[in-house]
Amino acid sequence: MTMVPAAMKARGVSRTYRDGTRMVTALEGADIDIPDGKFVSIVGSSACGKSTLLNLFCGLDKPDAGSIEAPVLGDGELLGRVGYMPQQDTLMPWRTVTDNAAVGLECLGSSREAARKRALEHMDRFGLSGFEHSYPGQLSGGMRQRVAMLRTFLYGRKINLLDEPFGKLDAITRASMQAWLLDYWQENRCTIVFVTHDIDEALFLSDVVHLMSPRPGRVILSLDVDVPRPRKYGEVVTSVHFNELKARLLQSLGRQA
Amino acid sequence: MKSGIWPPLLLGAGIIAAWEIYVRAADIDPLLLPPPSAVARYLVDNTRMMASNSAATLEELLVGFVCGATIGLSLGILMQVWDWFREAAYPWLVATQMVPIPAVAPILVLWFGFTIVPKAATVALMCFFPVAVNTVDGLSSVNPELIRLLRTFGARPWQIMWKAALPSALPRIFSGLRVAMALSVVGAVVGEWVGSTHGLGYLMLHFENRGETAGLFATVAVLTVMGIILFFLVGWVENWAISWRRYAKETL
Repeated sequence: MTMVPAAMKARGVSRTYRDGTRMVTALEGADIDIPDGKFVSIVGSSACGKSTLLNLFCGLDKPDAGSIEAPVLGDGELLGRVGYMPQQDTLMPWRTVTDNAAVGLECLGSSREAARKRALEHMDRFGLSGFEHSYPGQLSGGMRQRVAMLRTFLYGRKINLLDEPFGKLDAITRASMQAWLLDYWQENRCTIVFVTHDIDEALFLSDVVHLMSPRPGRVILSLDVDVPRPRKYGEVVTSVHFNELKARLLQSLGRQA
Repeated sequence: MKSGIWPPLLLGAGIIAAWEIYVRAADIDPLLLPPPSAVARYLVDNTRMMASNSAATLEELLVGFVCGATIGLSLGILMQVWDWFREAAYPWLVATQMVPIPAVAPILVLWFGFTIVPKAATVALMCFFPVAVNTVDGLSSVNPELIRLLRTFGARPWQIMWKAALPSALPRIFSGLRVAMALSVVGAVVGEWVGSTHGLGYLMLHFENRGETAGLFATVAVLTVMGIILFFLVGWVENWAISWRRYAKETL
């Protein structure tokens, strides 16, 4: 598909877990490639094992069968070496915006002061100026999400996993956050794995879209989104090519249903 | 707390006034129930003696409270960190609370003599339990998603404890500390009853034996005021330590 080397890849990955009394097979024989330095989306319905896949990618979980490799990171434990932004913002209500953003650096061994200083340098870029010393409870949903994102990006990993970061935002906030994220990513390139169930969002943001089947999850379609960057939302989503790509995704989804 | 300090003060003043009027009107024997004015006069006439005995009790109480709270907090953390320790220790911790304190106190006096130690130990014995139980509950209430996030940041277990679990447990820990403070007043008095030569608990026995009812009431009043002040002091420290709580509209 692409000639770019893989930042991460899953080969024949299966994962079954217990949910109360029943066993749920979240992934079965899933193969997936995350090309290095690209913006990659993983799309699927609510229960297709997307989150399970991210847990495997960041090292919180291990597959029952198959393997997860991260060629750009080399061998060894993934935990602590892959950036992860969970679906809930999980901001700590007892920490200010700055201290919340700095927690990853603190875990790396930075002093509280040094971590805080680094976080403060990014407040403007993340639209948090004037809120440095606010508590999460005082922020809007979009701002909370930006704090959580800053926390992930400050941790400074080559690969960053974002689990439905805009899922709970209203449509208008969501659109501005998408544009903002693309800008930021253009300036600070890294590999992004972006999980969403929104096809428009995935196509607009990504270089590659992986479509997953409902449980047990497998990749049923991998699509290169060859739309030039920088992308403007209004132009891209109304273009003929965009809608052709969207039609292909919807067709594959339809075959599954 | 919104309407401030006045409603409880007014209610208290009303009760005291009714008491005074009742004792005078019904001509009650002051040895059975002294009028509040007699209690107040006793306090005014014996301020220095009351103060020195209060200081003795306060010292025992605070030493015992700090020891008990420290032990409770440590046990709570250890029980959270090591499951086997929780399973092994929990029934025994409950057992310590089933032993009647007045029965244990004489043994403590036997071991440590008429020093501060048996009183502080009695207080600590009563204090540590609510702190330990609330610490365990508080620590286990931390958002599991937050722990997972910190693990992806490569956090060590002690970092997770320090950055996530303890701060989210603070409200529960303070609930435990408030209960412990209320218990420690009882603990100090019981400790003194068993063997002491001064302190408010000692005074109570002394007045009871001599039939000085006004002095007995005065001592109880001082003890009550001390307990209330200490209780609200814990609440005040809590508000300072958890100042972020007023912004936390949603629970984590």
